[in-house]
Parts: sequence; C-alpha cells; structure tokens
Amino acid sequence: MRRSLFFIAAMLFTASFARGQDAPATDQTEQIKALLARVELLEKQVAELKATRVASVGQAAPPAEATVNPPSAAQPPSGQTAQMPEHSGQLPQETMQQLETHYPSLQIRGFADADFSATDEKGANSGFNLGQFDLHIASALSPKIRYFAEITVNAHPQDYTIEMERSFIRYDYNDLFKISFGRFHTPIGYWNTAFHHGAWLQTTIDRPFQVKVGGTFTPLHFVGALAEGNIPSGGLGLGYNIGLGNGRGSLIARPGDAGDVNNNRAWVAKLFARPAKAYGLEVGSSFYRDKITLPVGAEYREWISSTYLVWTKGAPEFLAEFENVNHRNIFTSQVANSDAWYAQLAYRLPWFERSLKPYYRFEYTHMPLSEQVFAYQPQIESLAGLRYDISSFAAFKLEYRHFASHPAQGPNPAQPAANGAFVQTAFTF
Amino acid sequence: MRKHLILGAALLSATLPFFGLFRNSTFAQSRGTDIAVVVNADTPVTDLSLAEVRKVFLGDRQYWNAKLPVVLLMRAPATRERGVVLRVIYQMSEEQYKQYWVAKVYRSEVTGAPKVVYSDDMQYELVSAMPGAIATVDGRNVHPGVKIVRVDGMLPGERGYPLR
Repeated sequence: MRRSLFFIAAMLFTASFARGQDAPATDQTEQIKALLARVELLEKQVAELKATRVASVGQAAPPAEATVNPPSAAQPPSGQTAQMPEHSGQLPQETMQQLETHYPSLQIRGFADADFSATDEKGANSGFNLGQFDLHIASALSPKIRYFAEITVNAHPQDYTIEMERSFIRYDYNDLFKISFGRFHTPIGYWNTAFHHGAWLQTTIDRPFQVKVGGTFTPLHFVGALAEGNIPSGGLGLGYNIGLGNGRGSLIARPGDAGDVNNNRAWVAKLFARPAKAYGLEVGSSFYRDKITLPVGAEYREWISSTYLVWTKGAPEFLAEFENVNHRNIFTSQVANSDAWYAQLAYRLPWFERSLKPYYRFEYTHMPLSEQVFAYQPQIESLAGLRYDISSFAAFKLEYRHFASHPAQGPNPAQPAANGAFVQTAFTF
Repeated sequence: MRKHLILGAALLSATLPFFGLFRNSTFAQSRGTDIAVVVNADTPVTDLSLAEVRKVFLGDRQYWNAKLPVVLLMRAPATRERGVVLRVIYQMSEEQYKQYWVAKVYRSEVTGAPKVVYSDDMQYELVSAMPGAIATVDGRNVHPGVKIVRVDGMLPGERGYPLR
C-alpha cells in the first residue's frame, strides 16, 4: 500500500508538471485577442474604404436600420449539399466552402483512459490496466438524417474484444419528434445515457455499480426503435424517450443483437424535466418492461422503475439515482425486488482556472436471497476523489474507495471490507 | 455504514464553505455594452425569453420549425460577445463550454458544436445569408440585413436587458 501511495504521489507530481506545460495558454489568449483586434481594425478600414469609394461614385450608403429585411433567403435544399444562397456572394470563397455542409459529413471522436489500482482486497494485485478505447462516429446524411456509431476495444487477460456499443440512424422531424432505429444505450435513469463509455465524460473514475459496463443490473443496451423529443410545456422543459426493442438476450448483460430470445418485445419510457427557472436541474423517471428467457428455460417478467435528480453545473454537481428491478418467475410467481441507488456530489473549485473538482459518492445495492436472475452481489461503497482537468480534453483522477462488508446470508459467505486507491488519466481526442 | 457516513460528512463539510464563498466570484467579469441576439431576417422569431435563448444556445432547441433548423454561430474565444454568452447564457467557463459540446455530440444529441466566426463582418454576412442562423453581436452598432430578437421583451440598451 505504501508503494502505491508513493506511486500516486509521483503521478500527481507528473500531472502538475504537465499542467505547467499548459502555462502559455494565457499568452495564447493575449495573442488571439491581439489578432482579433487587428481583424476588427482591418475590417473597419475596409468598410471605410468601401464607403469612400461609394461616396466617390455618388451612390447613397445603405440605411443604418438595425432591423431591416435583407433579400429573402431560401431554405437549404434537402439534397446532397446545403448550399449558401446566391446573394451571399460577398463572402470569401474559402469561407463559403468551409461553411457548406456536405453530405455525408463524417466526424470521428475518440476516448481512452489508462488506470492504476491498488487495493487490500484478498487475492487482488495492484497494477496498471488499459481502459476502454472508444471511437464515436457521427455522420449527417442529410439536414435531417444522421447516423451514429460507437465502437469500443476492451482489454482482457488473454486478448482484446471489439464491441459495437451503439449503431443507429436517426430521423429528425422537429424538436418534438425524432425517431431512431438500431442499437442504443437504454434510456433508463441518467448515467447510462449521459456518460456512455468515455471515462473522460464522467467526474469519477468508474461508473456506479448499477450501470457498470458488463453488469447485469440495468440492461445497458437496447436494440430496436426509439422515439424522443421535447414536450411543449413552457418553462417546465419536459422531454421524453419511448422505445420498443428486443430486450435482454439469453445472456442478460447483452441485448438481442442478432434477434430476440422470445416473441415478447421490451419497451422503455422515460419522462424528464429541465425547468427553465432552475438551469442545471434535471429530474426524470423511467420504466422498462421485458420478459427474460434464461438459457436453462426459466422465464421471468422484468419491471424496472427508476428515478433521478441531477444538478449538472459543476459548482456544485449533484447526481442521485434510484432504481428498482422487479423479477417475477412466470412459472412459480415468486417475486424478487432488487434496489440500487447512488448519490454523488462534486464541486469545481474556483482556483487554478477551475481545473480541480473534488467529489464523493455513496452507493448501495440491495439484492434479496429470492433473486434468481442476478448473481448475488450486494454492494455498499463509498468513494472520494479529485479530478484535475489538465487541459480542456484531458483529466487526471485520484480516488480512494472503501468497499463495505456484508454479513453472510444463506449460502453466501460474508464479504470482508476492502480499501483501494485508484488513479486514472482519461482524455478525448 | 458508519465509516461511509463519516467520510461523506467530512468531505461535505470541507467542500460546503466554497459554495457560499465563491458563488459571486465564479463568473465575476466586468460588465459593459449590451450584446444583441440577431437572427436571419426570415427566421420566424422576434421575441424570446432568456430561458428560450439558453435552450437554443445549449442545442436543446434545434429547429425554429419543422423545415428550418437552427444554425448556431459563436464568436471566437477572447471576444466580448463570446464572454457575455458564456457568462450569462451558458454560465460556463471556456473549458466547460468546450467540454459541454463534446459531451453533447457524444450523446448523439447534435452532430457538431456551433460554427465559430472570427470577425463581426463575417458574422453579419453569415447571419444574413444562412436561413435559421442566430448569433450575438455588439448591441451598439447592429448592421442592416439581420433581425434583432427581443430578449425577455427588451432590446439592447433598454433597462433590465439581460445580455450585458
């Protein structure tokens, strides 16, 4: 443990040194300011020259009304390229070309992270590990049709696996109705659709247990159709997601990518509000219904209800989610209710260009002995850490975790408490 | 359970003083001229509340109507217009703004961040030329060819105008 602490201290020193490399940012800002001032000055000079020229040929200058109507501008065609209107010929050719949207327009962004962990858990080794390498592909096919894909490469003891996390096409009718077909992150709760797979996006190193990658508690992915949009509601800022899809596969951590395991479709509905008067606040609830068919032949009705409240402005940032999973055995009618919740608080400190964000999260997972679909894995975890944004697109995170014990229950032995220190550098590129 | 509560309480008590201490200094910047919100003259909007302007700039409202998408234009970093937009509308720092749009694209809610414009003239020309375009300009000297949007029922220069 002492060696690990020494290592962490070394990592922090490296991080602060790396931040030091970012110091010329202030100089760059000054340079940008100076350049912009020069551009403004040159524009004024050009305008003056134009005015002089106009005066010299005896033409009147245009009226200086602020709300005058320009020549009518046509709608962009829904064809292959959204062209700028003809009358905008005064823009430089290069600018015009840059601002035209060509279809398809492919954009690729990536996320990756490298981690170090050391725990006093029995049998666990300390060491480095490579996080998910995540590629996100977005392509506008027309002004209203877009394609999104997300592919991850995951390190395992023997090899790497490549996973198609998301792949869907979306048609936007307007803000009230957008429909997509393909593979999504299931809109249950908040975390699963807010942070997806890029560790850089989330404040903490890891996800809460209930939405852990590869976990079973929440069906993270959904193959089917999803409608979403805003609901006209004034300052309440309501929005919705409604989906119909295959639901869980025979391996319940996976959706039915290659087809459903039964003839029952799963559905999911989510309603959320982002009130205009409380900018940063989002509250929502979601419901998910499915029929699970396990490889052994047992079948269960699954009913997941979830609710959340988040405040995302960073100073402070607060996330809290509660989820209940109800399983009813279709043959025996035996019912099991498993619950999971977490509350996370973070605060972006005002110093060092607001690059420091301490955080704390408590999470709790309860599983009854009557649970037959999930492996028995109750959890109580407390974690505290510090996120340090080394630049706009890279962060260092240092975290301490305490995994609480739970007493022996039925055939399950007691689990001893453990502590761990974790370091991560996560970035987007 | 007790250890968790103690750890949580200790962290909270260490963090909470900052909530009050720095609330006012977070976005403390000098205030000056009003910034006007301007749109292409064919855009069917004349009056928006600050919350609606925020919704547009956050990318939560992407269409003026079913046929006309919103085209967001942002001035380059270190300009006054951008500073006011970040402070009043987004309530974010420059870095938070960049991170916000990366996350927004990644969540598949938009295909890209707002288009960046590097000069006033370029901005006026684009707003005049692009259907659905919206931008922020210096309220003292709005050029012809664009439509000024009232924010909370007020025009730049009027008492209580929020974008300054």
